Amino acid sequence: MANTETALKEALASIEGATGAALVDYTSGMALGTIGGSKSFDLNVAAAGNTDVVRAKLRTMEHLGLKGEIEDILITLSDQYHLIRLLTGRGGNGLFLYLVLDLKRSNLAMARHQLKKIEAELEV
Amino acid sequence: MTAIGTPPPPLPVRRKPNGGAQAPADLTSPADLTSPADLTSPTDLTSSAGRPEPAAPVGAVTPAPSPAVPPGLSPMLNRLAAERATGVLLREHGRLYLVDGRIMHAESPETPGLDVLLTMGGLLDTEFWREAVAQAGARRRVGRFLVDSGRVSEGALELCHVGALFDAAYFVLGPSSAPARFRYGAVHWLGPVRPVPVAALERETLRRRALLHRIWPDPATDSAPLVRADAPAEPPVPARQGAVLGQVNGARTAADISRALGRPAFHTLVDLRRLAAAGLVRTAPAAAPPQTSPRRPSIAHGPDGLDGPDGPDASVSALLTEPSADPDVSLLRRLRDALEAL
Repeated sequence: MANTETALKEALASIEGATGAALVDYTSGMALGTIGGSKSFDLNVAAAGNTDVVRAKLRTMEHLGLKGEIEDILITLSDQYHLIRLLTGRGGNGLFLYLVLDLKRSNLAMARHQLKKIEAELEV
Repeated sequence: MTAIGTPPPPLPVRRKPNGGAQAPADLTSPADLTSPADLTSPTDLTSSAGRPEPAAPVGAVTPAPSPAVPPGLSPMLNRLAAERATGVLLREHGRLYLVDGRIMHAESPETPGLDVLLTMGGLLDTEFWREAVAQAGARRRVGRFLVDSGRVSEGALELCHVGALFDAAYFVLGPSSAPARFRYGAVHWLGPVRPVPVAALERETLRRRALLHRIWPDPATDSAPLVRADAPAEPPVPARQGAVLGQVNGARTAADISRALGRPAFHTLVDLRRLAAAGLVRTAPAAAPPQTSPRRPSIAHGPDGLDGPDGPDASVSALLTEPSADPDVSLLRRLRDALEAL
């Protein structure tokens, strides 16, 4: 029963290596909440840009006739992981959680697991 | 969270014939609600076309998204934020409720209200929403009541609310041809959920305008009745756009479709512009009957906090929200909007 701010704070605190997180509406590209990030890494810009990633994948699946749902999308940089988790709850239609991880400090399997837990707590 | 640290600098005060730029301090009392003096300057139009005035810089944190963006959406709103005003800003396409200069809530007849988003999203049933408004509306604590009841989690309410707020504000801050007014002291019955700084709201509204323009530069699908275009081989569309496409029937407008689907109106505009860009949707030919749907749906739900539909202000706000029937005026407005968008 967390509010947005606590859920994001928890993501940053409980996920090893997490440096930033955002809750994003992927139709408008607006970040409904952000935490972390830095001057050189604007999470609002990342949020808007990553909506295009999600949309492109959804469209491709449509073209391929795939019926499955996207659970998450992983982007691996040389020094970071970017993890996008689409929210599936009743009211969460069209939202995703965006998480930035330091590649050296993080455990990817654990991060995915924690993100799932945080989604459940948000109850959206 | 995304807090804006720097308050906007004081605006250059424009001298107006009636001297309405600065509201006297005694107007902040709610007792003054009906005083004619609470009408701030009626000359405060917000369309920025040809406005020589350099408005306050919006959101010094990030650079403007595009060079074509007007510097400020509403000088009046910036002024209210600077003086940390509490009350309601009434504009042609809806209302913004402020507390201490921050946006607490927004409503527009163009967009489904929080009640629609919550009930259509399956988070709440209509009965319970009515009960919440009846029980907590007078205390202006409906939001708190919903969370305390355990029916809606705080996170879900926040997300729905902030979605509805930005959605309505996009239309409220859109081009307008009627004067804006501010009523000091008015508080919305929903109560505090999560306030938004004015600078963040303006920045997001400008970003949304730019987004629509980037998808498909013709704004015609935003407001006109729509028909499906005969595409020789329809490309598959994603499910969410497909639902919007399914609602297009030659009479419905974007606002009608949003209400039917219980989705934020801006989302429908995005989907429709994508469908227009794909050649799947276009505006209905001029011969089609003009839209007849009543356009004041969600604002009238529950005790209004200041004046219901029958209150002393009803005629004025009806006038403010009514679309112009004169085709020349609407044509000129569209022309002006198109020129501004260049």
